[in-house]
Amino acid sequence: MRSVQILVGATFVLAGAAAARPRQGTPAPNAQASDSIRFVAHPEHIPPGFPSHDRPLALVNPLEGNANAKKIGSQLYVSYNCIDCHGADGSGAMGPSLADNRWHFGGGSAEVFESIYQGRPDGMPAWGGRISNEQIWSLVTYVRSLSAGKDVGTENFTGATVERTGH
Amino acid sequence: MRRDATSLRLTIIALAFSVACARGDQAARTDSGAAQAAGTARATGAASSVAGTRIGAPRSTPPGEWQMPAGDYASSRFSDLAQITPGNAANIHASWTFSTGVLRGHEGQPLVVNNTMYLVTPYPNVSYAIDLTQPGQPLKWKFRPENAQTAAGQACCDVVNRGAAFADGKVFYNLLDGHTVAVDAATGKQLWRTKMADVDRGETMTMAPIVVKGKVIVGSSGGEMGVRGWIAAIDTKSGKELWRGYSTGSDKDVKVGPRFKAFYPQDNGTNLGLTSWPGETWKQGGGAVWGWLSYDPELNLVYYGTSNPGPWNEGMRKGDNKWSCAILARDADTGELRWAFQVTPHDMWDYDAVNENILVDLPLGGTTRKALVHFDRNGYGYTLDRTTGEVLVAQPFVPMNWSTGVDMKTGRPTVVPEKMTAEGKLVKDICPSLEGGKNQQPAAFSPKTGLFYVPTNNLCMDFEVRPVSYIPGTPYIGANAPEKKGEGGHGGEFIAWDATTGKKVWGIQEPFPVWGGALATAGGVVFYGTLDGWFKAVDASSGKELWKFKVGSGVVGNPITYLGPDGKQYVAVYSGIGGDMGLLIAGDVAANLPYDVRERGSTLPDLGRWTSWGGMLFVFSL
Repeated sequence: MRSVQILVGATFVLAGAAAARPRQGTPAPNAQASDSIRFVAHPEHIPPGFPSHDRPLALVNPLEGNANAKKIGSQLYVSYNCIDCHGADGSGAMGPSLADNRWHFGGGSAEVFESIYQGRPDGMPAWGGRISNEQIWSLVTYVRSLSAGKDVGTENFTGATVERTGH
Repeated sequence: MRRDATSLRLTIIALAFSVACARGDQAARTDSGAAQAAGTARATGAASSVAGTRIGAPRSTPPGEWQMPAGDYASSRFSDLAQITPGNAANIHASWTFSTGVLRGHEGQPLVVNNTMYLVTPYPNVSYAIDLTQPGQPLKWKFRPENAQTAAGQACCDVVNRGAAFADGKVFYNLLDGHTVAVDAATGKQLWRTKMADVDRGETMTMAPIVVKGKVIVGSSGGEMGVRGWIAAIDTKSGKELWRGYSTGSDKDVKVGPRFKAFYPQDNGTNLGLTSWPGETWKQGGGAVWGWLSYDPELNLVYYGTSNPGPWNEGMRKGDNKWSCAILARDADTGELRWAFQVTPHDMWDYDAVNENILVDLPLGGTTRKALVHFDRNGYGYTLDRTTGEVLVAQPFVPMNWSTGVDMKTGRPTVVPEKMTAEGKLVKDICPSLEGGKNQQPAAFSPKTGLFYVPTNNLCMDFEVRPVSYIPGTPYIGANAPEKKGEGGHGGEFIAWDATTGKKVWGIQEPFPVWGGALATAGGVVFYGTLDGWFKAVDASSGKELWKFKVGSGVVGNPITYLGPDGKQYVAVYSGIGGDMGLLIAGDVAANLPYDVRERGSTLPDLGRWTSWGGMLFVFSL
């Protein structure tokens, strides 16, 4: 509820800033609109960034930690052609890696569900309504398991793995 | 056209890197047929052309400019400029550079017209006009087209663009989201924007158009997305579509009529684009047109190749699958198919036939033949008669083991049964891999030496078919195919090829697949770039390395050359690794996506040590 209030407040602030421009030059074309747009005070103290405890979705994965769901998810990952975009074991291909513990749109169960359900603008199709929610949860369970414990930050090229001395 | 994503995790082939090592000026050279072809090259002296050898459609535009993707309609990538020679190439240095502002694979090449350079970036396909007459090369304009973001996720093999075409004061190019645009070359204003492809069905556009007699010729990408490939002509003035020929389907859709005559009997018949497919599988049958176009003004024929059939699972599409993996010749005015030659019938290895078709007249069998030379993904270097589609020469230009030869009676490759892929069977060690003996990186031809300069791959693969369902807007592949470096341990080789004999003349082994194109010049110097970021000048006759420079990011683009306003010869090339090699094979070379941090792939595990993503134009001169 709190986050909704903040959003409303922010909208008014932005609208006010946009409306301020015409006042400096010619009068606003619509006096009524200009009257209604004025700075709106809000009672909230707006914290920096996006507080992690205020996620917009409160969906809970009913299959969290379910080994069978993970197995089904791994099969659906092939059946629904996820594998050819995101790579075997989520290693990344046309689409981003799902095995790096890094997430474009959030890595919580609810966020991964949302990515699959509604799609993402870079070409991730929306699967909501095309496949069942239970299947999506199975995919969420599988996909989130791929990067468990992964730490991919450093790549070291020295040492025995690279024997080629180059040009 | 791609390798399968899954190979990143499936196979670990530890290669002896010491074997792969190609050290600088000691780069390993192979000398099969060297004496013979060197003799051919020198027969008429360095200054003149080899007797009976001629570029099939020589350029009508000024020699100091570069108005078409390949420099001319023949796709020769040859320039008459001769200031840079083997004698002075050691003095080449970087003159100026330009950041395109975009990372990702910079395939393709700039154009130079009237002292202006035109660039097109990978998605979001920004174009720039650079004023070459001013110090510091300021922009004349910058054009940022509308380009749907979803396209980025529909492109199989990075969000590349292979360049623009110039004609009548306009710059024409394709947008990844399936539009073709015309831009006023003087002002940068968009003149028209025509929707050609349906991105929601996995169709994107990445190829470089050519302009023929007032028509922009364009084609589709998406052979891994279950598309139905096509080529189309658009009116340069109005932006209206004039004709469209599909790669699969009925004779009407494929534009097969009374004027069609294929050289081989199996390629003649009614509705072959339907009958060579089971059921309605032709509707998702691929045959995309994402490669290079050529044009012969005398014959009025547009030449191009088509992609792999979809899906890769061959059992889901028994039959020849016409006209996937084929070379097609169409009437430029009407789009009618005049002849077709299916290079790899019923492809089961992802051997697209989209590679460039270089139109040359060559001395063959005592006469001069109007030839078309094509280095196919399947590993054969073909010399065809471009009036009929007859195979004149077909010899392997890279190590291969899937086929023992091309049957000259039928034009069909003889397939080794053990290398046939099928469901329930893991086929090991197929060479070349699905990247092909050569991929999008275009070769060049020099009439001075009579030789073709070919950037090649040396990769092999295992192939495992799996079932797949067609879901619009998702990949339609049905196979895992992990790749590894081939025999010798080098990843690629830059070779000189004699298309009259089908023999390699010399070769420079490279540690990685040579994924950038070639440029041949009348000065006797040939240029190419490498995945690990070296841009090189080599002697056209001997292959001796003359000069090299390490650019900021791996080269997957194609060098061009032009005369600057100061009368000097310049050579320009994009630096910016990507495409299939920089995204799928070596996804760890990326560094700009905090949410996509990939581990090293097994195919080219150390590429990331030598390069990262980039997006720069480099310009060199003496």
